[in-house]
Amino acid sequence: MTTSAERNDGLYGQLRLELRRGCLTMAVLGRLRTEQYGYTLRQTLAGLGLAIDEGTLYPLLRRLETQGLLVSEWREEEKRKKRFYRLSPEGKQILKQLLAEWEGINKALNQIL
Amino acid sequence: MELIDRYLQAVKFWLPKAQRDDIIAELSEDIRSQMEDKEAELGRKADAGDVGGILRRCGHPIQVAQRYLPQEHLIGPSMFPIYKLTLKIVAVAYVLPWLFVWLGYVVFSAGYRAQNPIHHLGLLWQGVVGLVFAITLVFALAERFMVKTWAQEDWDPRQLPPAPDTDQIPRASSILELTIGIAFIVGWAIDLRFRTVFGFAGATITLAPVWRYFLCGLLLVSAVVVGLSAINLILRSWTRWTARVRLAIDCIGSTLFCWLLKTAIVVEITAPNVPPEKTLAVTHGINLWASRIFPAAVVLCLVIVVVDVRRIIRVKTTMEESGSGT
Repeated sequence: MTTSAERNDGLYGQLRLELRRGCLTMAVLGRLRTEQYGYTLRQTLAGLGLAIDEGTLYPLLRRLETQGLLVSEWREEEKRKKRFYRLSPEGKQILKQLLAEWEGINKALNQIL
Repeated sequence: MELIDRYLQAVKFWLPKAQRDDIIAELSEDIRSQMEDKEAELGRKADAGDVGGILRRCGHPIQVAQRYLPQEHLIGPSMFPIYKLTLKIVAVAYVLPWLFVWLGYVVFSAGYRAQNPIHHLGLLWQGVVGLVFAITLVFALAERFMVKTWAQEDWDPRQLPPAPDTDQIPRASSILELTIGIAFIVGWAIDLRFRTVFGFAGATITLAPVWRYFLCGLLLVSAVVVGLSAINLILRSWTRWTARVRLAIDCIGSTLFCWLLKTAIVVEITAPNVPPEKTLAVTHGINLWASRIFPAAVVLCLVIVVVDVRRIIRVKTTMEESGSGT
């Protein structure tokens, strides 16, 4: 039998996940204005306070690439093959729109909360 | 490191085939980078415990793989890879063999064609629908009641199975082929030769004259098999040429075998104190049995040939990818 505290924890986890999902997409798109490979991108985001595990980042990168927002290529660096990602022209356009939307939401939330 | 390879192998198993290598290459690069950072932090080489810690943090292989899969609803992402694997097993172990044998009888048996074979296909369809329904129901129930418990349980990367080398030819299979080939050649040279009459405890079995040609062909096949298995024992992996030779000898062997089944393989059996009617009935029985298994034998031989052709394509692709022309 689940207690009220457990139910609240579950609900919080679910809502937090939903909130993070959109933010992560924007953060990834934002950082990939400069070309990076997965591991350094993860480190950069973690360093800036937005930790993301590999099991979340790589499927996200793959999805964004399939949607045409990112482009990638395999290149050798330090004798190891790495996949470098960067924002596509379409991705730049979408990011611009998302940032405008984000600013609007942020401004509204600041007033509401 | 071996533990990482085993982990990646386990993740790979659950991934969609088309993206498998790409995803694994990227995940491998990430894990190795994490290991390097860990080593830099510790100031020593990472041991199995450190690597295990990194892999545990990455997540259970099924959980990692399911994040790359499309989101399914009746069967959730945690159970979907296992559900898909179960359906594949049903297809490969039940539906395909059933269809192959059915097709074999339809093509090669006029008697079967006269018995409304489509009706049997309908029975297969009903069976498959029932089976898929039952499997889906079990997984949907498991999804509701079990997923959270197994996905969140602690797991130990050291318990993952070793990563198999799919291109390596098992030494045991080469030794077995070599032994059988040599045994047949020696047996042929000592006793068999072109004999078609054999005696056992007073009984005599006379085989059809076509056996002479069959045994000659088998002798040739055995000689090539001996050479091929000796090469495989040394090289331990397929090359373009050895894979082609395997296809050629399997084609020759299969043709010989199927051709033999189509003939009346036994001419006569005589035995003291056994009435001729009985030995005649046994002779007919053997020949009838041989002709009845002919469709199944053809299907089996076709499967062997398909496996050989797939091996040639795989070897060719692997060599092209590695830039080797041998």
